[in-house]
Amino acid sequence: MTTRSKPRPETATGELPAQRAIDDPVVAQPDVPVVVAPGDAASRSVAASAGLLGTRILRQYSLVFLLVASFVLYSTWNKTSSVFLTGDSLRVMVAGQAVIGVLTLGILVTMVAGNFDLSVGNIAGLSQIMTATLYAKHGWGMWAGIVAGIAIGGFVGGINGLLVTILRVDPFIITLGTASAILGFIDWYTKDQSIVTGIPAGITHFGRNNFFGVPDIVWVLAIVAVVIYYLLEHTPYGRNLHAIGSNRAAARLVGIRVERSIAMAFVINGIFAGIAGVLMLARAGAGNPQIPPTLALTALAGAFLGAASFKVGRLNVPGTIVALLFLAVNITGLQYAGVANWINEMFTGLSLIFAIALAAVLSKERSVKKTRKSA
Amino acid sequence: MPTVMAGPRTALAMRGLSKTYAGHLALDSLFLRIRAGEIHALLGGNGSGKSTTIKILAGVVTADPGGELVVGEGEPVGLHDWTPAKAQAAGLRFVHQQPAVFPELSIAENLALGAEFPRGLGGRVDWRALNARTAELLERYEIHASPKTPLAALRAADRCRVAIVRALQDRDDADSGVLILDEPTAALPAAEVEHLLEALRGYAAAGQTILYVSHRLDEVLSVADRVTVLRDGRKVDTVEAEGLTEADLIEMIVGRPLDRVFPAAPLDSTDDAALTIRGLRGGPLRGVDLTLRKGEVLGIAGLLGSGRSELLRMLFGAYPVEGGSVTLDGAEYAPGSPQAAMKAGVAYVPEDRQAEALLSGESIRHNLTAGQESSYFRKFLYRHRLERNDAQRSIGDFLIRVVSDTNPVETLSGGNQQKVVMARWLRRRPKVLLLDEPTQGVDVGARAEIYQLIRRATEQGTSVILVVSEPEELAHASDRVAVLRGGRITTVVERPIDAHKLTELMNIPQVAVGEGSS
Repeated sequence: MTTRSKPRPETATGELPAQRAIDDPVVAQPDVPVVVAPGDAASRSVAASAGLLGTRILRQYSLVFLLVASFVLYSTWNKTSSVFLTGDSLRVMVAGQAVIGVLTLGILVTMVAGNFDLSVGNIAGLSQIMTATLYAKHGWGMWAGIVAGIAIGGFVGGINGLLVTILRVDPFIITLGTASAILGFIDWYTKDQSIVTGIPAGITHFGRNNFFGVPDIVWVLAIVAVVIYYLLEHTPYGRNLHAIGSNRAAARLVGIRVERSIAMAFVINGIFAGIAGVLMLARAGAGNPQIPPTLALTALAGAFLGAASFKVGRLNVPGTIVALLFLAVNITGLQYAGVANWINEMFTGLSLIFAIALAAVLSKERSVKKTRKSA
Repeated sequence: MPTVMAGPRTALAMRGLSKTYAGHLALDSLFLRIRAGEIHALLGGNGSGKSTTIKILAGVVTADPGGELVVGEGEPVGLHDWTPAKAQAAGLRFVHQQPAVFPELSIAENLALGAEFPRGLGGRVDWRALNARTAELLERYEIHASPKTPLAALRAADRCRVAIVRALQDRDDADSGVLILDEPTAALPAAEVEHLLEALRGYAAAGQTILYVSHRLDEVLSVADRVTVLRDGRKVDTVEAEGLTEADLIEMIVGRPLDRVFPAAPLDSTDDAALTIRGLRGGPLRGVDLTLRKGEVLGIAGLLGSGRSELLRMLFGAYPVEGGSVTLDGAEYAPGSPQAAMKAGVAYVPEDRQAEALLSGESIRHNLTAGQESSYFRKFLYRHRLERNDAQRSIGDFLIRVVSDTNPVETLSGGNQQKVVMARWLRRRPKVLLLDEPTQGVDVGARAEIYQLIRRATEQGTSVILVVSEPEELAHASDRVAVLRGGRITTVVERPIDAHKLTELMNIPQVAVGEGSS
């Protein structure tokens, strides 16, 4: 505060330079030559942004370029070209991303508000095995089972949300806990037995059929993408989530109900994990108590990688879709090239590290700019 | 001998200390001599230069060339290339307003983090040696606690004393070096202050030299041997504390005789009241009575920690209220949350723009809309064009200089960021606008524009409560100024408002005002 004070005449009369400046913004203080030039700051930023435009485009679409490049690579490389660019291969590739894609899009809802959910993979697994059980052991109808599977996801998401907002504990820890608890529950409930009979044919057909040449479950992924995009970018709720993720204290002080919004985000996230679980069941045609352990991590990788494109530094749906395709193309391509199955997890893990490193660099760049400005 | 004067031994002397900030002389050839073993208080209002002095001594701010410093028996050294390392080596020890202590760690760990962990075999921490050393220090400084006690378990004054011990732990003899305390009581509850002062008297009696910076006059008088008062970067005088009164000090600080006869805060007629506050209690507030008239800018003058920010937060439903009543436009107003406050037509611009107001990473447009999104959502469609038009209108109306409203808000200058925050609220035409330091970190030009915006809002019927710590700025921007001290409004000053008088009123002990006004 000391540095801000202005020299002032010793006479305590009312007419001080500061007052004149208040009455008329264009009058500069006599001893501090301040010129209020409208557009001065603006013209400077214009020049700066013109220079940055090239690099910005490069950065925004770098992942798209990489996706196209890897697509071209696997289509022409003699090791992969014979199998890669065929309708069946592409269908399998995209269909294989549907489950993880729905999980990733769902996790965006919590991540936008600055929360992690490490339990989504296991929530999906739980929905999958519970739906299968309801069909096989309790004779539920197809639609009732689907609704139940999705509801279970929403329910567990709600538990996560309540724990996170009531206990105010890092959601990272809470969801790590619920993830483990779900695994234990599945093990106890299923006695580690797969459910291979009694799944309605409608469901399994859905997992294999195509509609206009595109697998049914990919259509589901597309619809989910549109819904999440609408939710995050075109509803007040989505915008509030962005605000909470940007600055929680500020969000509270503009009247956003922070806790309620976050709890709701976990419920929505859980619902989409439930949908992913039903898709898992449809694709496999059987209920499997063994849940792939890397589902949540892969979803995180997709979301982070997606934040590095289109709206750089902001979690966004188009970027996430590109990231999912990028992962799918490379993993499938490398597998066709004869690299063993471990490439799947290896590539996902490295992509996650790469995406987070990139996010760290980008945010550092931003904060450097900020400090320069304030200096 | 470099001793500046004859008489008692000198622990620290500064000569010709000047500092120029952007052409403005913040310190003008200051001369200061501190005797060994005394508690020397450094006093002054906002902008008097006391913080600058401390920062120069600590080596974090570079003085103008020409200044000299003598520590103890040492040779005079130039102050223009003084560094924190040199200050440390010379035996200057600093404890700042909010000392960097770690509440979860034990006392022993807190002390070791200020020096070094004693190491045992293989580099492990030698806990036994550490605890023994800590126990010895605690005994020497008369803090009754075990080395293993977590700091959080201590009373507030003792936490502060641990910070002092940490600063002094490597000095074996009490009578070399200088302990510099920068407003050590600012964060302490009143009951803890005397406990700390008692300890300081003890250290001084043992030979420790202390430079004590504060704005609490009663403390200074109760603890200091001598007092130096700064005003506008110059030394007013150095005087013996013995026999001084608070009135004498205030006179030195503000530069003219103290006028004790202030009118009592009138509980003015409520027919033109936008907001009537009666007996509001909570946090540091102990019964605030205040009336905000329609269309006025009511300034709140108060020192840091006086409760001025809490008052605004209570009125916005963002701080717990313990008692009292508030009426807004004649109706009872007790917001339980910011949402309720907003619904009643109250708006709030917090003090810390980065931490509590800006949505960084989000666009300027989204920042303007923040909290009002649902007004653009109709028939399941978000009306982006409507939002854009409103944003562009606000950018024009509120003099915000932007390239595009879709750019992230943090690309703007501080002044334009603040105008975005102001516009966020003003576009709703609030009945009552609560502003906490709206010009912090804002350049002069933008500052004038912000006050222009506030004026315009009042012309349109908004009533404003304004908290600004600089008395001069507050005096010019307000129609009336209420002085908040000791958790109460002690007086309300009408126009013409004199900044010097405000400084007096903010610093004046509460008892004196109470007597004068009743």
